[in-house]
Amino acid sequence: MSGISKSGEKSLWLKGHLKDFAAYGGLILCIIIFSVVPPFFGQNIWSAAKLSTLMSDVIVTALMSVGAVFVYALGNMDISIGGQVGVYATLMVLLGNNTGSLAAGIVLSLVITVMIGIINGVAGEKLNIHPIVPSLVFMMILNGIRSIVYNKMGTRNMSLVSVDYSLFKQSWFMLLVLVLEVLVVGFLFNFTRFGKNAKAIGANKTVAEQCGINVVKYKVICYVITGICVVLAALFQMGYTGSASDSTGTGFEMNVMVALILGGMRLSGGMGAKVSCAVVGAFTYSLLDVGLPLIGVPNNMTFLIKAIIFIAVVLITCRQKKAVLPR
Amino acid sequence: MSQEVLLKVRHMHKAFGPTIALKDVDITISRGEIRGLVGENGSGKSTIMSIASGMQPATSGEMSYKGAEWKPASMVEAQAAGISMILQEANTIPHVTVAQNIFAGREKEFASFGVINMRRMYKAADEVLAKFGLSHIKGNHMIDQYTFEDRKLIELVRCVDDNTEILVVDETTTALSLEGRQILYKLIHKMAEEQNKAVVFVSHDMDEILAHCSVLTVLRDGDIVGELTGAEIHEADAVKRIRYLMVGREIGEKYYREDYDTSHGDEVALELDHVSFGPIREFSLRLHKGEIIGFGGLSGCGMHEIGRIAYGIEKLSGGRVLRKGKEIKSPLQAIESGIGYISKNRDSEALILEGSIQDNIVLPSLTALEKGIVIRPSDEKETSDREIDSFRIKCHSGKQYVNTLSGGNKQKVSFAKWTAKGSEVIIMDCPTRGVDIGVKQAMYSLIEEMKKEGKAILMISEELSELVGMADKLLIMKDFKVTKEFMRSPDLKQTDIIEYMI
Repeated sequence: MSGISKSGEKSLWLKGHLKDFAAYGGLILCIIIFSVVPPFFGQNIWSAAKLSTLMSDVIVTALMSVGAVFVYALGNMDISIGGQVGVYATLMVLLGNNTGSLAAGIVLSLVITVMIGIINGVAGEKLNIHPIVPSLVFMMILNGIRSIVYNKMGTRNMSLVSVDYSLFKQSWFMLLVLVLEVLVVGFLFNFTRFGKNAKAIGANKTVAEQCGINVVKYKVICYVITGICVVLAALFQMGYTGSASDSTGTGFEMNVMVALILGGMRLSGGMGAKVSCAVVGAFTYSLLDVGLPLIGVPNNMTFLIKAIIFIAVVLITCRQKKAVLPR
Repeated sequence: MSQEVLLKVRHMHKAFGPTIALKDVDITISRGEIRGLVGENGSGKSTIMSIASGMQPATSGEMSYKGAEWKPASMVEAQAAGISMILQEANTIPHVTVAQNIFAGREKEFASFGVINMRRMYKAADEVLAKFGLSHIKGNHMIDQYTFEDRKLIELVRCVDDNTEILVVDETTTALSLEGRQILYKLIHKMAEEQNKAVVFVSHDMDEILAHCSVLTVLRDGDIVGELTGAEIHEADAVKRIRYLMVGREIGEKYYREDYDTSHGDEVALELDHVSFGPIREFSLRLHKGEIIGFGGLSGCGMHEIGRIAYGIEKLSGGRVLRKGKEIKSPLQAIESGIGYISKNRDSEALILEGSIQDNIVLPSLTALEKGIVIRPSDEKETSDREIDSFRIKCHSGKQYVNTLSGGNKQKVSFAKWTAKGSEVIIMDCPTRGVDIGVKQAMYSLIEEMKKEGKAILMISEELSELVGMADKLLIMKDFKVTKEFMRSPDLKQTDIIEYMI
C-alpha cells in the first residue's frame, strides 16, 4: 500500500513538473547538442566570440520577455511591444544627438510607456473589450508615428553620433543588466502583491475580484512593469548598433511570445506563470540561432528546424491533461 | 418486472495519482431499479458512474453492459449506447440556442445536403421540451437567458431519450428548486417503473434518497460498505444506519445547534439600508454581532442577490450597505471592513482551482501579510498551515492543488480564506452545498463557534433544515421580497415554512 502511494506520489510530482522538464529539457538538450556536435565541424560554441554573439542575440528578447511575464500572467498579450521598441530606439537616437546624452530619450520613453500601460490596462477592463485590442491599436499608432518620423527625416536609418554607446556592446554589461532585471522582476513577481495578484487575475478574475483585488489597478501595474522592461530592451537594441531604423522592433512582440511559449508559459496565464519561462525560452531560441549554423545547418533552414522544435515543446507543455477528481 | 442485469462492474479500481478513489468495487445495476449511491465526498460514488458513462477510464477492472464487454471511450459513445449521466456542475454549451444544446452531436439528423435545417431543429426541440413538461423553455432561444436551474433541466432533456437504458443523476437536485425536482422525480419513476429501465441516483440529500430509491448502496473511502434494499430503506432507523455506514463511526446526535438562545450583541455589524437592485426594492436588514440571520427560499427568489449586495459586488440602484457607519461599495471595501463572502459557485467564484491550497487561503490576507511591499513565503505558509490544521483539510501539504481536493475539502478552503483574514462578518451562500454529512457537521459546529466569538453571519441556503437548525432569525423570500420572518424556536417546522416560499 505504502509502495503504491509512494510511486504514485512520484509520478504525480513528475506530472506536475513535466512542463518544467520540457522547457528546461529543451534548453539543456540545446546546450548538450551544441557543445558536442560543433567540434566535428571544427567549430566551438563556447568560444568568446560565439558567446558574445549569443549574448547580443538573446539580450533584447530576454529583456522584453522577462518583463512581459507580468502581462502574460494576466492571460493577456501586449502586441505593441515591437512598435514601442521602434519608437523608443528612434527617440533615444534623436534626442541623444540633440542633447548629447541618452537620459532625455530614456525619460521620455518611460513617460510614454507608462501612458501606454495605463491605457492598455484600463481600456480592456472599462470598455469591456478583449485586452489584446488596445495593444493592437497602439501597435498601429506607433508604427504610424515611426514611418512619419522617418519620412520627415528623409532617411530610413539614423545613427547615434554624439553619445558614446560602446558600453551597450559589452557582453558582460548585457549579462549584468539581464541578471539585475531578472532579480528585480523575479522579486516583484514572487514576493510582492504585484505578481501574486497578476497570477490570481489570470487564473480566475471573479475569484480575484471577490478577494478584494482591484483588477484594473493591477492590470495597469503589470502593463507598466512590462513597458519599463521594453524601454530597457529598446536601449540595448539601439545601443548595440548605435542606430535606429524604420524597421527597428518589427516582429519583436512575436519573439516575446515564442520565447515565453518555449519557456513553458501558458498563454492563458494564471498560477503557472514564472519568470524563468522568459529566460529559458529566450536562451533556447537564441542558442538555436547561433548553434544551428555551427552544425552545418544552412541559414535558410533554421526557421523550419525552429518550427519543429517549437511544435515539440508546445505539444508537451500545452497538452497536459489534468487528472481531476470528479467531485 | 424482470430483474435483468443491465450493467455489471467487477473489480473496478481507480487511482488519481496518490489518491485512490475506488478499490476493487463490484456493483450490479438491474432493470427497473432506482439505485441510490450515497457516501461522503471522495467516497467514490460519482467515480463509479463517471467510468461507466465514459467520462474517464478505470485504472483496472472490467464492466459488462447488456451482457457484452463495456469499455466506453467517451460520454458520447456511452450515451449512444444508452448510458447517460447528468453532472453536478453546469454542462451546457454557452452562447448557442437551446435546440443546439439538446441536439449537440446529433445535428446530422436535421441536415439535408450538408445544411442544417434550424427550423426543424427548433420544432423538434420544442416538442421534446413539451414532453418533459418544460414548455416554458423554447428551442430557438439562446441558452444564456435561462437560469442555472433551467439549463440543468435542458441538460436532462439532452441526456434522456427513448434510447436511454441507464440514467445517472449525479447531485443534480442541489441545483434544482422544488418544481424542478418534481419534474426530475417524475421522470426517474417513469423510467424505472413504467419503462423498466434503470436509474442511478447520486445525492447527499438523505430524505430524497430514501423517498425515491428502491436499492441503496453505501460507499466509504472507495469501498462498498453496505446495501439496503426494499423494506430496509423505509425502516425508522434507516437514516441512522446509513450515516453510520457512511462515516464509519457514530456521528453522535449533535448535528445542528442545540441551544435556542437568540440573544446577540447590540452592535450592528452590517446594515442594508433600503437597497434596490434589479427587482429587489427598498430592502432593509440589520445584522448584529453574534447573530445568525438565515435566508431561505426557492433558487430564484432573490436571496442569493442579497448576499452579493451585502458584499458590495452589485452596483445598487438605490440605498446603502453600511458597516460601522461606512458605506460598502466594492468587495475590496467589504474585505477591508472585515466582511467575508463564500460564494455559492465554489469552483468558479470562490476558488482558484489551478492554484495551491496555500495560494487560495492567503489570497485575501496578502495585504495583511505584507511587510513593506515584501510578502515572505514563510508567513504565507504559517497562515495557511494554521488554517489547514484547524479545519483538518485532508491534504499532503499546503502546496497541493485545490482541484485535487474533494468537494468538502474545497469548501473548507473557501471558509479558511476568511478565518485566516479574521473577518468579523461572514456572508455564506449555500455553505454546505455538495458537502457530505461528516463535513457538514464540522461546518455547523464551526458556524456555532463563530457565533459565540461574536461574529455576525448571514447564511443563505436552499436547505431549509440547516436554516431551521442554525439561524437565530430566519427570513423567507419569494419574488424578491421577504414574505415571512421566523424566530429560532424548537417548534419551528419546515412544513410551516414552505408555504411562504411557493
